[in-house]
Amino acid sequence: MPIIMILYYLITAYLVVLLVWNFIREKKKIEELAQYLLVLIPLVLRILRIK
Amino acid sequence: MSTQIGIILGIMVLAYAVAKAMRLTVEISMFLAALAGGLTGVIFRTPPAGELIRHLVEGSATYLDVILVFSTATIFMAIVNESGGVNYVVRATIRAFHNKRLAALIVLMIIVLIPGALTGAGSISLLVVGAPVAMALKLLGISPKRAAAILFIIAGLSAAAPPVNIWAMILCAGTAIPYVGFELPLAVPVLICGVFTMLVLGWKKERSINLASALQEMPEVPARMTWWRVLLPFLVFFGSVAAYRIFPFQTPILGLPLQFTLSALVAWLVSPSKIKVLSLSRETVKRLLPLISTVVIVGMLQQIMTATGVRGLLSYAVISIPLVFLLISLAIVIPVSEGVLTYGAAAVLGIPLIWYLDSIGFHATVAIAGLTLLWPLGDGLPPTALIGRLSVMVSDYKGSYWEFLRTTWLPWLFITIVGILMVVYSAKLSFLVRWSM
Amino acid sequence: MKRPGLVKAVLIFLFLAFLIQGGLRLYRHRHFDVSVVAGPGVTRVSRLSDFGPGLKGTMADTLVYFMEGGEPGGKAILMSNTHANEPEGLLTTLLMLENAVVEKGSLIIIPQFNHSASRNTRPGDGYPLYFEIPTDWGRKTFRLGNRDASPLDQWPDPDAYIHYPDRQLLSYIDVRNTNRTWPGRPNGPLMEKVTFAAMEIMRREKVDVAIDIHGAETMFPVTNCIVAPDKSIRIATLASLTVKAREGFDNHVEPSPTGFRGLSHREIGDYSDTLPFLLEAPIPFLDQPTGPKTEKLLLDGKDPFLLSLAQKKKLFVPYDASGWPIEKRVGQHCSIILEILRQYSKKNPDRSILARDIPRYAEVIQNGVGHYFHDPAGAEKDCLYPN
Repeated sequence: MPIIMILYYLITAYLVVLLVWNFIREKKKIEELAQYLLVLIPLVLRILRIK
Repeated sequence: MSTQIGIILGIMVLAYAVAKAMRLTVEISMFLAALAGGLTGVIFRTPPAGELIRHLVEGSATYLDVILVFSTATIFMAIVNESGGVNYVVRATIRAFHNKRLAALIVLMIIVLIPGALTGAGSISLLVVGAPVAMALKLLGISPKRAAAILFIIAGLSAAAPPVNIWAMILCAGTAIPYVGFELPLAVPVLICGVFTMLVLGWKKERSINLASALQEMPEVPARMTWWRVLLPFLVFFGSVAAYRIFPFQTPILGLPLQFTLSALVAWLVSPSKIKVLSLSRETVKRLLPLISTVVIVGMLQQIMTATGVRGLLSYAVISIPLVFLLISLAIVIPVSEGVLTYGAAAVLGIPLIWYLDSIGFHATVAIAGLTLLWPLGDGLPPTALIGRLSVMVSDYKGSYWEFLRTTWLPWLFITIVGILMVVYSAKLSFLVRWSM
Repeated sequence: MKRPGLVKAVLIFLFLAFLIQGGLRLYRHRHFDVSVVAGPGVTRVSRLSDFGPGLKGTMADTLVYFMEGGEPGGKAILMSNTHANEPEGLLTTLLMLENAVVEKGSLIIIPQFNHSASRNTRPGDGYPLYFEIPTDWGRKTFRLGNRDASPLDQWPDPDAYIHYPDRQLLSYIDVRNTNRTWPGRPNGPLMEKVTFAAMEIMRREKVDVAIDIHGAETMFPVTNCIVAPDKSIRIATLASLTVKAREGFDNHVEPSPTGFRGLSHREIGDYSDTLPFLLEAPIPFLDQPTGPKTEKLLLDGKDPFLLSLAQKKKLFVPYDASGWPIEKRVGQHCSIILEILRQYSKKNPDRSILARDIPRYAEVIQNGVGHYFHDPAGAEKDCLYPN
């Protein structure tokens, strides 16, 4: 895999970590929790090399 | 078939309305509309039941790169801001231009136009230079509401400005028209509309501020801050964008997210104050959540609308309108389509529209240029309102969204008229294309 | 929020259900193989990576089938799935692979030209993942791909794609479109490597004729036609006139624009001695104003919105209630290809290319496309090429 593509997977993984962290910390708003998970769908699929 | 699709569309609208009435967020309401549309579609086997979730999941990936661009660009600017760079630039701008209002307005307009023109995304303009320009506008005595309105219109124009206009590129890719000859048909109206906007919204001083008190109002800048510390990260960004343009076959394709990440790393390294990148990134993502979730959900919505035929019905309805009404309706149809589908609108409505106009003697390149002036206006319209919401966010305007949008009415109308006239008189304006080549 | 732990658990369960249900289907699509039964005319099978560097081990590498005749003659290369959401091309080349016998000269066939795109789906456009063709022995399943290569194989995109070598600015997405990356280069992005390798085949094998097989919207002016540059336009015109006179279907000729770079019909001619042709058959499924994007629409091409637009004279092809079925599209492609080869052979007898057992327009319509596909279960193992 080219080095630039590897860096993209790292950027995506960094975002996933931030979103998961925020999801864990969020205690009040259900809608925000749902939104974090919706955003995670394409990012996780990319990291798993599915889409 | 129209009845079946009409029912699905009706259910989608109803689901959105009910969700909004229950005070759910725009994003969740849009998701529920997509889900309701998909479930109704399943009744007619469009899509088959087993495929519904796959469609939603697949649709979520439509704008994955946009999520990365938004996130990395915002984290980059958050670091620059945290280092004191933004305040440093604004102080300098105000010192230089506080008594040359016209020059200040034009310079600020050009600062906002450049990032969007280079990348094709108004959001980039707002994320990179939006906050400092908003602050400079306020120090010129312009209210946050008007500052947000200026940023929204100019950022929209920056996306339409050459060399990169993504709507035009999507249309060209879909209609097999070369993306050449767009420089003047885009640059001339963008500059005219931009100057008009700056004068209409920015000329009037809503409060008078003298230089000393303006500077006093601003937060302190770290003592060790210097010009090179501010400029270096931006040089990395614009340098890497320019390097690919100037040496495209010697430069590897980095892509905007990596370019912003590299610039963010440089900003972090040269910052005079210590920055906690991880917690800053986490805060930034939290702030960006409404925007990035909108982008994901629009992809889902688009996929469901296509799988159920709703998208086709809308496209059919627009193309079936008689020509004169069609041209007049562009004023509404184009921005609304952008508000619902963002860039997807260019493919759904734009491609068949351009084929049709081309076949009856309109000049395709000028007509595309005209239409691409109208699309950015839709970026202020719900449900997505991507650029509108970003403008409000970076300019720190706390009032009603509709109040902000209403402030843009005159430039909005002016741009609409210019865009439609460009389409109508595209054949007569074709000299602009010839002069560009 | 009451009991945040429970709410989170429920949301995570829903998230995982979405991810697994939707993700698995997409994963299976990317790894689904179509069994190709190489017919009696296939003499050897190579890979695109044998002709260009940087493709080995990537999803962009693809099979190249050689069908060499007993007598020496000219050579033609046929490419399909340049855009993997235009399946008439793929069905045409597979039909030839499974049945044709070359008597003079050679045919070189690359059925999955943009192999990565054939394993990609089109987010936002609501396509079905597969389509099935009824055959004499059951149903044969094919992947429905995308116009562009998968970002899993080529990532990131630039903010705008600059065409090599003409520096024309193209849409960022065209960096993954193998009908914009011609003539390619050995050290460019992956899709430029694909087109470069194909150019190498043409240069090394001294290919006389290149045919790139596509489908195009009924609302697109460049549809139902042969696109050809100046050097191929005479043969294209003769082929078009002959099929009209002998077989009764229209297929006009469009000149290849000199100012629009990166397209096969432009760059192959400019960067090699090969004569390029690009074939377009109308595919209503790709039009924007259609009903739901179903497998049925993909195969029969019947749509009430297009029918209404046809009555308002807004389409560029004749269109009635019979739609534009896949048999008609594949049949047209077969006849046009045979006619191009015949016209070329007439003009260049020492480089002629003669093939038999390729059905023509009327036969494909009468028998259906599936009639020409062989049952992989009953085929010799060494004739099977999962792809």
